[in-house]
Amino acid sequence: MTSSAHDARPPLPTAMPHDAPPTEVSDAAGARLGEQGLQPVSPKLVPARYLAGIPGYLIGVLLTIGAIVAAVLTGWWWLGLTAIVPLVLVVQGLALTPRRVRAIGYREGAEDLTVALGIMFRSVHTIPYGRVQSVKIDEGPVDRRYGLAKLTLSTAHDGAGVTLPGLPKDEAERLRALLTARGVELMAAL
Amino acid sequence: MTAPGPDPDPDPVPGAPRHRTHPITPLVTGWKVVVGIIAVLTAQNIAQLANEFTIRRALIGLGILLVVVLVAIILSALSWWFTTYAVDEDGVSVHSGMISRSREYAPRARIESVSIERPLLARLLGLAKVRVEVAGGGESYLDIEYVSSARAEELRLGILEVAAGTSAASSSAVSVEGAPADETGAEARAALAGGPTAGSSAAAGHQDSGDVARERGGRLEEVLYDGVTDGELIARIPTERLVRSLVRDLGFLTGIVMSVVGVVVAVLLALWQEGFSIAILVALAPTAIAVPKYVFGRIDSGWGFVSRFSERGLRMRRGLANTRTDNIAAGRIQRFDLRRPFLWRGPGWTAVSATVAGIDDDDENGATSVLPVGTREELRQTLGRLSAPLGTDDDLATLEHLLTARARDLPGLRTPVRWYWIARRTEVSILLSGALVHRSGLVSRKLSIVPRERIQELRLEDGPLARRLGVLDLHVEGAGDSLLLENLRRDDALAVHAVLAADARTLRRYRDRESWPRPALAPVGTAARSTGIAAGAAPGNAPEQERPAASAPGPRPDGRETR
Repeated sequence: MTSSAHDARPPLPTAMPHDAPPTEVSDAAGARLGEQGLQPVSPKLVPARYLAGIPGYLIGVLLTIGAIVAAVLTGWWWLGLTAIVPLVLVVQGLALTPRRVRAIGYREGAEDLTVALGIMFRSVHTIPYGRVQSVKIDEGPVDRRYGLAKLTLSTAHDGAGVTLPGLPKDEAERLRALLTARGVELMAAL
Repeated sequence: MTAPGPDPDPDPVPGAPRHRTHPITPLVTGWKVVVGIIAVLTAQNIAQLANEFTIRRALIGLGILLVVVLVAIILSALSWWFTTYAVDEDGVSVHSGMISRSREYAPRARIESVSIERPLLARLLGLAKVRVEVAGGGESYLDIEYVSSARAEELRLGILEVAAGTSAASSSAVSVEGAPADETGAEARAALAGGPTAGSSAAAGHQDSGDVARERGGRLEEVLYDGVTDGELIARIPTERLVRSLVRDLGFLTGIVMSVVGVVVAVLLALWQEGFSIAILVALAPTAIAVPKYVFGRIDSGWGFVSRFSERGLRMRRGLANTRTDNIAAGRIQRFDLRRPFLWRGPGWTAVSATVAGIDDDDENGATSVLPVGTREELRQTLGRLSAPLGTDDDLATLEHLLTARARDLPGLRTPVRWYWIARRTEVSILLSGALVHRSGLVSRKLSIVPRERIQELRLEDGPLARRLGVLDLHVEGAGDSLLLENLRRDDALAVHAVLAADARTLRRYRDRESWPRPALAPVGTAARSTGIAAGAAPGNAPEQERPAASAPGPRPDGRETR
């Protein structure tokens, strides 16, 4: 290192290293990002989400009805437009929940876990086993009814961690055990 | 997570002696409460108070104030009585609380750094606050406040030793450096090593060794630099350069000019509309306080900055009114951010801040700034001590080039979308064999350096617009901040993702710790010691496996020891 070399143009790598590993996240046309090789979560998550969403749907329907009634009673037609927002929320919730659940998936790699969520706004998380700091299993009342559990992984990164919902209970337990065991084996320092 | 919290195990070593903080502490903390109450009361009702002023009311007010002061001091004294701390070979613990007792505990393997802060009032009284930073988000630290300055120094050394796991046999390694100031350190260490065994005499003991330290370090430098006098000098910022750097910082200047102009315009408008009244002054008080506070904070965070490198890492001292000394170990840095505002390009100054897991710098007190404004040589010294090699032939020249060249001339990954024309010209990411470097900033150039072995997790984000444009966002998440590589071409993003994912899962494993990359300029002993710290940090170590990490692409740990 020299201190007066700011005029020099040191060579910088222009491309990927030659020994770069192959891409692991698939990106085929017409398919979702990283869909290939993913293990889906339990289909029971669809009814579970519907059940858990009932209060929300009810409120949405009531708001819609209220807006329409108000529009009819007052004669101000534009009041009816406020019904659109809750209506859209309820309809997309009812229509898209099965697709959303099908879009959730995970893949246990040899040394890392991939979790993918979302249809339109999709995020694909890659978490090395060795970097996992904590694993949490949550079972809400609705989840328990369907025998499901929610797994939350966190690394040293600030943030809520990665949540994988809708796992069958014993699968969640198996993943937790696997993550803990592999985590100890491959543990990486901060 | 191991953020400090109430510890289920009450006291790991029942025999470890617990100490109280300095007896003047209640006065210092109680004073803060009183000032806070007065500030809140007056700020809200000052206009009303001024209108209804009478002697009698003033006397009643003073009486109430006196009572409040007394109550505050009594409460502080009680909380002082019930606050104890102890340092033993398992870590640092602080017990506090009278009615609901809390026991905070920092296990030694999780101690990230120790800093000593001296707020103005405490400094006048010769007191200091010791802050032990622990890995973890949010408020992950233990404060021992307040102890005498000499005791704080002892504690710092003692805690760092505990963290390094070398409480017994380190004095020989220290005295090699041979600086006279070092003897006080050895003295302090001896006092602390004796402390836990000597038991009840510890209180008297630390007083003694404090006097000794004061006598020996009676030199001007010792006082000026708060004891940061041992070890190799890395950077020292003259006041002239600090002031010139602030004057040359356009972002800083425009911020101040805007707020001053805003205040003046607001005052004139108000005067023009409704004449003079106290209400205007009250409304403007926050800005009138905030601007000088910000300016002073910027000066304070760089004033008298000096950094030295010793076997415990980089020690830094800074501050004009409130001074602080921080200690950052090379092995604990997760990321570097280099900043060069427009007018710093001429003299070639750079500001460097480092991210360490657990240290929050919300209050801008400069805890994470390892070089407020440094020359090229100071940059070389600092990064050479702290950062693992980037994997180029000449790291400093590379960084200089990355900071000075136009972003569009740099080879690397950038967004292909024509519409994002600012990003196309200012943001570029370069994958070096040691680190991922992201250059950004139009006027004030910024370089974020994420060492490739420090990546915690990766996230790819896709959306309808991104699909349309054929791009992807890649979030590279470290312990602390994350780096966003925005709108990369889809295949570029996936290729970088694959490389970085391989790094994240294979590099920096405990079982390969012998071959972890080390800073290029750090002395040999330091490297061994920092490995020692890390070795102590592996509680449940893995069974040996035959898979070497050197199979990772890019950084070859064994090839990077350029000592």
